[in-house]
Amino acid sequence: MINTASTPPKPQSYKTNVEIDWCPGCGDFGILNSLVLALQELKIPNENVVLTGGIGCSSKIPHYVNVNTLHTLHGRSLVQAQAVKMANPRLEVISASGDGDGLGIGSAHFVAAGRRNVDMTYILFDNGVYGLTKGQASPTLPYGEMPKSIETENIKFPVNPLFLGLASGFTFVSRSYSYNIKHLKETLIRAMKHRGLSLVDVMQPCVTYNNINTKEFYDPRLYDIEKEGWNPVASNENEYKQKVPQAVLKSLEWGDKIPMGVFLDYQTETYDQKLQKLVPDYGKKNYVMDPIHSNGKPLNDVTDLMNSFC
Amino acid sequence: MMHDLNLMVAGPQGSGINFTSDTFAKVMTREGYQVFTNAELFSTIKGEHSYFRVRVCKDIIRSYSERIDILIPLDAKSVLLHVKELAQDGAIIYEDKLEDPRHAAVPYKDILQTVATKFGKALSELNVMKNTVALAGATKMIGLDKEKLKRVISENFASRPKIADMNNAIVDEVYAEFKAERTFDLEPTTYKKRMFINSTHAVGMGKVEAGLKFQSYYPITPASDESNYLERVMGKYDFIVEQTEDEIAAINMAIAAANTGLRSATSTSGPGFSLMVEALSYSGMTETPVVIFYYQRAGPATGMPTRHEQGDLKYALSAGHGEFPRVMIAPGDHKEAFYDTIDAFNIAEKYQLPVIVLLDKAMAMSNYTVDPFDLSKVKIDRGKLILSETKDYLRYRFTDDGISPRSVPGVKGGLITVAGDEHDEDGHIFTEDADNRIKMMDKRMNKMASVLREAPPDLKVKFYGLPTNKKVIVSWGSSKGPIIDAMEKVKDVSLLQIRMMEPFPVEEVMKYLKGKTIIDVEQNYSGQLADLLKEKTGLEVSTRIVKFNGRPIAFEEMVEVLSKPKLGKREVLTYD
Repeated sequence: MINTASTPPKPQSYKTNVEIDWCPGCGDFGILNSLVLALQELKIPNENVVLTGGIGCSSKIPHYVNVNTLHTLHGRSLVQAQAVKMANPRLEVISASGDGDGLGIGSAHFVAAGRRNVDMTYILFDNGVYGLTKGQASPTLPYGEMPKSIETENIKFPVNPLFLGLASGFTFVSRSYSYNIKHLKETLIRAMKHRGLSLVDVMQPCVTYNNINTKEFYDPRLYDIEKEGWNPVASNENEYKQKVPQAVLKSLEWGDKIPMGVFLDYQTETYDQKLQKLVPDYGKKNYVMDPIHSNGKPLNDVTDLMNSFC
Repeated sequence: MMHDLNLMVAGPQGSGINFTSDTFAKVMTREGYQVFTNAELFSTIKGEHSYFRVRVCKDIIRSYSERIDILIPLDAKSVLLHVKELAQDGAIIYEDKLEDPRHAAVPYKDILQTVATKFGKALSELNVMKNTVALAGATKMIGLDKEKLKRVISENFASRPKIADMNNAIVDEVYAEFKAERTFDLEPTTYKKRMFINSTHAVGMGKVEAGLKFQSYYPITPASDESNYLERVMGKYDFIVEQTEDEIAAINMAIAAANTGLRSATSTSGPGFSLMVEALSYSGMTETPVVIFYYQRAGPATGMPTRHEQGDLKYALSAGHGEFPRVMIAPGDHKEAFYDTIDAFNIAEKYQLPVIVLLDKAMAMSNYTVDPFDLSKVKIDRGKLILSETKDYLRYRFTDDGISPRSVPGVKGGLITVAGDEHDEDGHIFTEDADNRIKMMDKRMNKMASVLREAPPDLKVKFYGLPTNKKVIVSWGSSKGPIIDAMEKVKDVSLLQIRMMEPFPVEEVMKYLKGKTIIDVEQNYSGQLADLLKEKTGLEVSTRIVKFNGRPIAFEEMVEVLSKPKLGKREVLTYD
């Protein structure tokens, strides 16, 4: 969900002047540009945005976006991002990381995130290889493939991020393409506007190490499922139960035709609403800005708690 | 007149032994007695042999006794295992007839049958209330007013009044029908209001008082009791407790919440801490004020999950790759645990670094009486936290004291860039400049000297006993209790309790230990504090008294070892 600014920030103010160290032609650039465009269009004040990254080429993106950024540990981008949103629900929180980060070392957090449904957006930079360590096979590399950077063909089956996202409980599940800025920007905007946990799986060539899943590979194969009539919106639990299996079937398509677009858009209870069931004042008070002391004297008083043990 | 009285409730896990001992302890607490308990649980839910000890005295007591005055076994196995510990003039309350002259023959069956009839129940339905029969038998022998016992029972079953009524009817019957031959006359005391708590409660209350807003945890014995306690009170005090998918998530969430501006913490035990270690290093590098509550248990690996040990001192001090500043505090009792918890948050935020509070299973599961905390002594210091609009902001700005102003998301003009890679003042990572590396390492590591300089003396060490004693025990954590109790019998030895393990208070330690005969007491195999002492000060201990069988130190074994005319280099305590 979006909290927009009363005075829109200047265009370009979402980019830092940090020199970008991705390889020329890297698919990461398309994602960075789309994200910056999306933020400009949504006009969220910079100080109210938090972008987290894990470790890897793509996870350096926090340094290039002029918002609050947490460059976390390998695999921990999504889990830290959820905590930021839980700590301060007023923030717009975006997590970015590669497929190795999110579905290899961080897969436990990916699955658990679906159970919570924190209102935030997770961008998966999906290129099939571990670029920063010179191109080892990552969890999404198709079975049997052997990009030039690996020593032997890949004998593991790939994880399907969309299928796993649907199974885990993500309430907005989508795929886009880093060389289709218009589609990617629009998908990111929809993901951020969605109230709940959004997955944006971005097909993204690694020009240095993955010579199979290239622009030439993707361009003729990717098609937009929504243009072919798929309606991802589930407006109640029954529709959700009907939509999910169909979305799963679509997510399994891979080969001559590769689907992209929004597979599922379902609004249900978000984690802040669920937390409010346990902590009635949660979200009403501002945990960050409201003081916890007055001149050093605690505002909490545990006298009642002490008495309960007497 | 007895100075102290020791009651043991033993039986299979799940048979109500915990309930029985807790009820007794609460009644005695309300009588104004000091109460100390020790729980020895088997790592199962139901069936295996477990036992609780309750020691009662009008004076403060800090350890359990090997002597049992009243034994309440709830099965035959418990009779066999514990009767050897029963005092010559003790009593054993057991439902079947025993040849032992100490057997207190409470008419279990008649009492239960009377109450069952009165409530229209089958006798078998009241089997679970046998422990109440025994408990009432004990309180009658001690000469307690039955109404006081009934009041605690009613409170315990507040949500199930029918159950409370039945249990209380049992109490009435026992007091009417049981003719106790043996009685126990405790030295009288006057009422004083005290809490009956363990360290998970003390830490929990400390966190609430300190303004905690975010706690994350993954279930683990014995740490999760603290998080579960916080879950019970979070609705009232407005904070969140998050049960995560694993301990890696737990600490990463706590770190992220801290960087978002909340006082945040995680609690765990050894196996969970091991999973947190990478992120601990990250919190040092990113200057994140996160607090980790580390309840040690017997390791290695899964070890003995419900048993006690202080085996992780050196590990917690060195865990994490690379060199980064950390503060580690080891409270020695529940009262210290409360105040240290608040200090830990203040230190974490003031110096922007991870703080580890090192506790142990004995503290987590040993309930005892504690005077209410003095809240007027509590102060909150959030350091250089910025919550209003700022400009020209750099998260890792070099300053004279090495501590940068700390902004958080949502502050206009105060965008933060937090990075675990080596970074510039602005948090960006595209420098591996050699000079910057030196400046950043100095910035972070120099905090340790500031902590040491500014920490109050009694957060670093505490000294007990006569300063003129030639022999000084050095110890830490929950070992303190039995040592201080033993020092009331063995007067020629003093105690230096080391509380701040990192940065190590060399000056204070030297002041108390230089020129002394040093005796190390700790509950691990090797004597880790003795090693640390040597590393930091060059001082050698003459004896390492260690205990590592999974049980805390008993009062008598501590007296016995300290009374030896000549101590060896290594003395192993074995009482269970």
